[in-house]
Formats: sequence, structure tokens, C-alpha cells
Amino acid sequence: MSPNPTTKSMPRETAEPSVGFSAVPIWLIMVFAGLFYWSQIYLSDHAGGFDKAVYVPFQSFQDVADNNPKSEAGLEMAMGADVFNKTCSACHQPNGLGKDGVAPPLVGSEWVMAPGPNRIERIVLNGLTGPITVKGKDYNLTMPPWKDNFDDKHIAAVLSYVRNTWENKASHVKPEQVAAARKEVHPGPETSPELQQMPP
Amino acid sequence: MNSGPLLFLGLFVTMACSWLTFVMGPQLQIGGLTTTTNIIVGAIGQDYPHTEPGAAHQGAEVYRANGCASCHTQQVRPAALGSDINRGWGIRRSTAYDYLFQEPVMLGSLRVGPDLANAGRRMDAAAVLTRLYEPRAITPGSVMPPYRFLFDTRKIHGAPSPDALQIPPQFGPPPGYEIVPRAEALALAAYVTSLHQDGYLFEAPPPPGKTNAPPSIVPVAPTNAPAK
Amino acid sequence: MRVSASPAQTAPRSAAPPGRVEIEASCRAPLLVLFGGGVLWLFIASLFALVASLKFHNPRFMADEPYWTYGRVHAAHLTALLYGFAVPVALGVGLWLLCRLGRAPLAAPYVAALGVVIWNCAVTIGVIGILCGGGTGFESFEMPGYVAGLLLAGYLLIALCGAVTFHLRAAGRLYPSQWFVLGALFWFPWIFSTAAMMLLFMPVRGVVQASVAWWFAHNFNTVFLGFAGLASIFYFIPKLLGRPLHSYHLAGLAFWTLALFGSWGGIPDGAPVPAWIVSMGVVGTVLTAVPLLAVALNFCHTVRQDLNTLDANPALRFTYVGLIFWLIAGAHQIVGVLPHVSELTNFTWFAVAQKELFQYGFFTLTMFGAIYYITPLLLDKERPPVWAAILVKWHFWLTFIGVLISYLALAVGGVGQGIYLSDAKYLFPQIMKATLVTLRVSTLGDLLIVAGTICFLLNFALLLAQSAYRCWADYGAGARKERR
Repeated sequence: MSPNPTTKSMPRETAEPSVGFSAVPIWLIMVFAGLFYWSQIYLSDHAGGFDKAVYVPFQSFQDVADNNPKSEAGLEMAMGADVFNKTCSACHQPNGLGKDGVAPPLVGSEWVMAPGPNRIERIVLNGLTGPITVKGKDYNLTMPPWKDNFDDKHIAAVLSYVRNTWENKASHVKPEQVAAARKEVHPGPETSPELQQMPP
Repeated sequence: MNSGPLLFLGLFVTMACSWLTFVMGPQLQIGGLTTTTNIIVGAIGQDYPHTEPGAAHQGAEVYRANGCASCHTQQVRPAALGSDINRGWGIRRSTAYDYLFQEPVMLGSLRVGPDLANAGRRMDAAAVLTRLYEPRAITPGSVMPPYRFLFDTRKIHGAPSPDALQIPPQFGPPPGYEIVPRAEALALAAYVTSLHQDGYLFEAPPPPGKTNAPPSIVPVAPTNAPAK
Repeated sequence: MRVSASPAQTAPRSAAPPGRVEIEASCRAPLLVLFGGGVLWLFIASLFALVASLKFHNPRFMADEPYWTYGRVHAAHLTALLYGFAVPVALGVGLWLLCRLGRAPLAAPYVAALGVVIWNCAVTIGVIGILCGGGTGFESFEMPGYVAGLLLAGYLLIALCGAVTFHLRAAGRLYPSQWFVLGALFWFPWIFSTAAMMLLFMPVRGVVQASVAWWFAHNFNTVFLGFAGLASIFYFIPKLLGRPLHSYHLAGLAFWTLALFGSWGGIPDGAPVPAWIVSMGVVGTVLTAVPLLAVALNFCHTVRQDLNTLDANPALRFTYVGLIFWLIAGAHQIVGVLPHVSELTNFTWFAVAQKELFQYGFFTLTMFGAIYYITPLLLDKERPPVWAAILVKWHFWLTFIGVLISYLALAVGGVGQGIYLSDAKYLFPQIMKATLVTLRVSTLGDLLIVAGTICFLLNFALLLAQSAYRCWADYGAGARKERR
């Protein structure tokens, strides 16, 4: 007779398998029903109404709309964040801590946190060159001017953002203040001694 | 269930459910998206997203051919789901709009290396090229493989080439030689530096009251001691 | 003892069916190529996996040529494993099951053999194409577009033979394995052609590509490979234990719920797609608890306390362990998709661990069980050659321990990586350093798996040699008889 198919100690080839007909236990049906019920609840909470504008973690279109900034301040901060991200973060870093040999930090910087924006709006408009001390450390770098790249609204927004994010907390900057600074034509970049002569 | 045709029909219906949900559904809903002007803030008068220059498209081919997506993702998760935004990997989560002009879309599924969705905001071309030639020159102990075959080692004749890499001497070529990136390396660098997901969208607004700026934490300095 | 096939015969299923010799003989050509080629590809895939794994410990290892850069080697490994080994072996076992359970010989075996050759050519071109930089960038679907047509053509030839064999089956109730095999045969061309059309030939726009790619990968694993493995499990465990499968209805429930819910899933939690797509995936994956329970229950009752017979038969042992790994991998997948867990483990080695357990643990072990049983019968039904017992034992234990080590290391490492990733104060290089230990352990697991595969290859070669020697001896004895 044919020996075992695998090793010598095996029995002969067995017959084809047969199948019994026991019923599906009720508890398994209940588990299925329970999971199905759970899935419907989950979908009603987390599927965002099957709307293409709703992404996790929002739960409905209304939720997304509610979370969109409506106040002027909210819109301004969003605009400032966007400008900062696109332009300033390359040197000052996304976390505002700056980088040696590239840019000084903005977090907790006495220049940024000055009572008024006089100095920093001029830095952003006209650029800065030469030695400058920030948070007790000396830097001697060059920052390009941005007055031709952004209008007053955007510069005011990014200054407000920088003054009110991370650990910074200071007054917002108005576009009119930036416009006034822009009116004073200043050929070439600012320098630290010049800026220190003006009121903050 | 003994009839072949009935079995086939059942399988067809089941497969069709799945196909409709994950293939046709998304295609019908977001497969026809075009640029949006529905951005909260952004450059004045511009749609989002914009197409990238040709070198970036060629670089995407190099990215694809070398399987970069097997270690790098290109998707930023919302703040509620992970620390992506906190790490400075983006100011907001990624949405369908961010990938409209990418071909192929290489989202990746494993983070052996950092997320690259906004790499263009963190690195310039020189940094990318140096990292491609010798990752350990920038990140000691990195497991990223060096891509030396994307570069040429050339003898310096007269003045060094303006394209030559500036690398620390211990990783650099022997004296009298310079490392010059090939066209593929330059294209790849153009691609990586073109990756950014800007502006807040309706679908991905800033959280109310605060923005998504990464906290200004001083990171724990890397040492050779095993992290706790 | 030759018994001719008789389709009109309505012998009770528990009696030995007629015509087995013809069935085995008809399957011989295509199945030997499917199995032999498949295991060779598995060996090649393991080598690629080892090279990729070693690069984590020494990034300069084989990094000077573009062909061996990590991204390409990793893609080549997955392709060789899935398309070189998994699909052919699934088809081989599936065809054999259709023949056996339908009590009909394989229809047009040489057409099927041609299909196998075409398939293997396509995979070879595809793997070389990946190493030369033609990879598509989509996981589990890396082969360049120019092989897609050839691949599908080879597959369809094989699948058509299977479908015709099924159609010509003997009358009688279908056995669950037959549903699973048909499901698998049908699923693959649909998901593959959809992916090929929407990703390569007429690419869809934007993030829909990612949705299709995730859908393909998930369906390939959970449904196609799952069905192929379960077909074998449902057949061999009751057969080799000599006990009936506990419940036809439970098997039916498992089949349809796995088809329906197992095919919904694969979308990561924070993906840049609308929330409903992610949620449908979560719901589908959680509902796969139903087929998991149905299968577990069915086999709990079938096996009962017969565990000591597992030791007697390696085919049974491989299949049984494969079933256990399927259950664990399924449970892992469900846990991994729950919101709080997926936030933590997204983009970490945790998901890789599940795939490894599923592919290497469940699928290869189950298929090896079937191959150990089927191959001797293919070579010679009357006097099947015999596997070397010691190599079988080494194969089992090396693979079993290797899979366990690799899985546990990656799963635990993945959770650790997730914990570090979720805290922004840990820089990336630190996280990588911390996970290197788990990667080292999983490389060790990979080494053991390669060693196990070598044992099998040796055994397979010995078996073929045994069979060839017998053929030659028989021929010589026959010639001597004639001369007298």
C-alpha cells in the first residue's frame, strides 16, 4: 500500500475531509450585531457626513466651518503664521529659536518683545546689518529688506504673530504703524546703534 | 452555496462594495479637485497649489526610482493625532489639495527618517546634497544610506567647480579632488526643496486662539548614551 | 490500485475518492514549477531582506552601486516575496485543492504550465526593473508598468484552468476550501488590474492614488493571501486529523464576512484623505473580528484535544501553527486600527510587524504545510518519495522561532518608536538609535528564516533527486525485464 506521504512514521493517506453542520452559535451572531451597531455609531461620529471637506479630527462640515478663524485677530494671526512659515522660518527656524551663523532667536528676544514695534518694523522693512546683541549673545549677520515683497497688512500680521506666539506675549501691530515706518525712506539696511537711538 | 455562478455573483457584489468605497468613491469625490482659492491666508491672488519647476518633476522620478518613500513619509498629521506639527514638520495637516500636481503620490508608510512634506522649508539645496552624499556629516549615527552614485569625484583642475559640495574634511574626497553632484542629484535636491504645504485652508484651519507654531522647546541634546 | 474517475458516482465524501492518480498526474507539471519556482523566489526574497536588514546596521554596506540601495532592495524583496513566492504557491495549492475536492483532473495542465512560465518571466523582469530604478513607489505594487500585462496574462491562463476544473467538478456539495480558492482566484485580477489602470496607465489625480494603493495592498494581504491560506487550513486540518470540520455554516459566515469586511481597510489614521475614507477602513477592520472568531471557533471544536497528533505529521504542524499566526496577525491588525493605538503606532515598525507575521508567519508556514503534503504525491502517487525528517524539523523550528523573534522585536520596537515619536522633545536621531536594538533582533530573526528556507530547499532537491533516481531505476529494471 502507498506509504505515508511525508515521513515513514505517518499513517496512510487519509480520506478527504468531511464537514459537519453545527449551527452558528447565537452569541457570535450577537457579537456581529453588536459590532455592526458600534460601526454605525462610529461612522455617524467620525465619517464627517461623508463630506470631502471634513478631515480627521473634525466631525462635520459645521465643525470645520466653526473652526475657521472669523475674528480679525484670528485671521491676522493665521496670515502672520503663513508669512512666517514661507519666508522667515528658513532662517529664524519654525520654532523661532534661530540658528548660530544664520539668524538670532525671536523667542523671548528683547527686540521683539519691546513695548512698541518701532524697531522691529524697521528691521523687517529695511533689513539689518552689522553687530547686534540679542538675549546677551552677539550676532553679526545680514537680514535682507522685505518692504518690496510684502504690503503693510502682511508685515503687520507677521510682526503680530511673532510677538504673540511661542512664549511671546506683546501688543499687536497695526498696518498703520508699519505704513508710518515705511514712509521714512531709509536707504540701505538698519544698524543696531541707529535703531537703539529711537524709542521702542 | 453549491452553485458556481451564485458564488461568483456573491463575490462580485462583495468586491464591488469595497471597490466602490475605496476606489470609485474617492475618485468621484476628490479625483476631480482643481486648485483652490479657498485659502484663509496666503499669497495675494494665488491659487493653491502651484506647479513646481521642471527640475522638481525630474527629481520626483529620482525619488521614486530609489525608493525614498520606503523610509520617508510626506504627510503631516493634525496636532490631535501626533507630534508632527510640534516637531516643525508643517504648520498644518496635509490635505488632498497638497498632492494635486504630484505624480506619483509617494506618501510613504514608515518613518525611519523624518517626514518630508515641508522639507523645502527646512533645508536648502546645499543641505540636501550634503545629506545625500554623506548623511552622517550632518546627523551623526544616521542610518540613511549614502547616495554616492549620484555624485562624481573629480580632480580639481585650476579653480574648484562652483557646484562642488562643501563637506567636512573627514567625509570629503582626498586632497586635490572635489565632489560634484550629477544632474540626478541636482534634480532630487530641487524636488526636495520644492516640497512645502503652505497656507491655512478651509479644511485645515489654524486652531482658534493660537497658531500651530511648534513650541520653542530646546531639544534634548543628542548624546551617545542610549535614550531612556 | 487505479480507479477511474466517475462523475456520476455519488460516493459519500468520507470514502476515498476515485481517480486520484490521474488527478495528481494532471497537476504534476504546473504545480512542480509553481512550487519549485516559488520556493526559489522565497530564498531570493530572504536574501534581499537580509541585505536590506543589514543596511540598518551599516548604512555603507553595498551602498556604492545604485542597484543595491536600500529603497530598491527593499522593494525587490517585497516583490520577490509576494509575486515570486506567494502568488504562485497560492495558485498551486489552490489548483490542487480544486482538483481534489472536485474529483476532477486539472483542465489543460500545459496551458497552466505556460501561464506559470509567463508569470515567472514577468516577475524576473519586474525585479530586475526595480533594481534598475523602475520601481513605481507604491508599496506591494512596485513592479514597473511594462510587466503588468505579461503578469496578468500569465495569471489569467492559470486561473482559467482552475475555473474550468471547477466547472467540470463532480456533483456534490462544495467544501469550504473551494469557496476560498475561487474567491482568491477572482480577487487578484480585479485588484491588480484596478491598481495598474489607476496608478500606472491612466493615473488618477492626487491623493486618490494613495487611496487605491492602500486598498490594493490591504486586499492583497488580507483577502487574497488570507483566502489562499485559509483554503489550505480548512482542508488539511480536518483531513489529517481524520475528524470532520465542525461547522459548514461557521465556515460560510467566516468566508463572507472576511470577503466583505476584510476588503475594507488599509488607510492610515492621519492620512490626507477625507475622514470618511479613514473611518470606513476602521469599521471594516474592526468587523474582521467576526471572521476571526468564526474561524477560531470552528477549529477549536474540530481540533479539541487532539493536539498530540500534531507532532506526528509535519504538514499538520505547519498548517496548525499557520492558523494560530493568522489569528494573532488578525487580532494585531484590529488593535492597530483602534484610534488611540493607531495615533501612537502610525508610521512605526508596529504595522511592519503585522505584515511580517501575516506573510512569513501565517502564509508561508501554511503553504509549506501544503507543499510538504502535496509534492511527494505529485512526484509519484503510488510510491511517494519521502522527505528527510531531520530537515523538516529544522525547517519548522528555524522558521517558527525566526518569525516569532522578528515579530516580537518589531512590534515592541514599533510601540517604543511611537512613544518617542509622539513627544517632540526627542529628536529623530535619538529615536533611531533607540530602535536599532529591536532592528538588530529582527535581523537575527530574518537570518533564522533564511536558514529555515535553505533547509527546505535542500529537502526539496533531495526529494526531486530521490524521485529521479527511482524513475531511472524503474526504467533500468523495465529494460532488463524486456530483454529476458
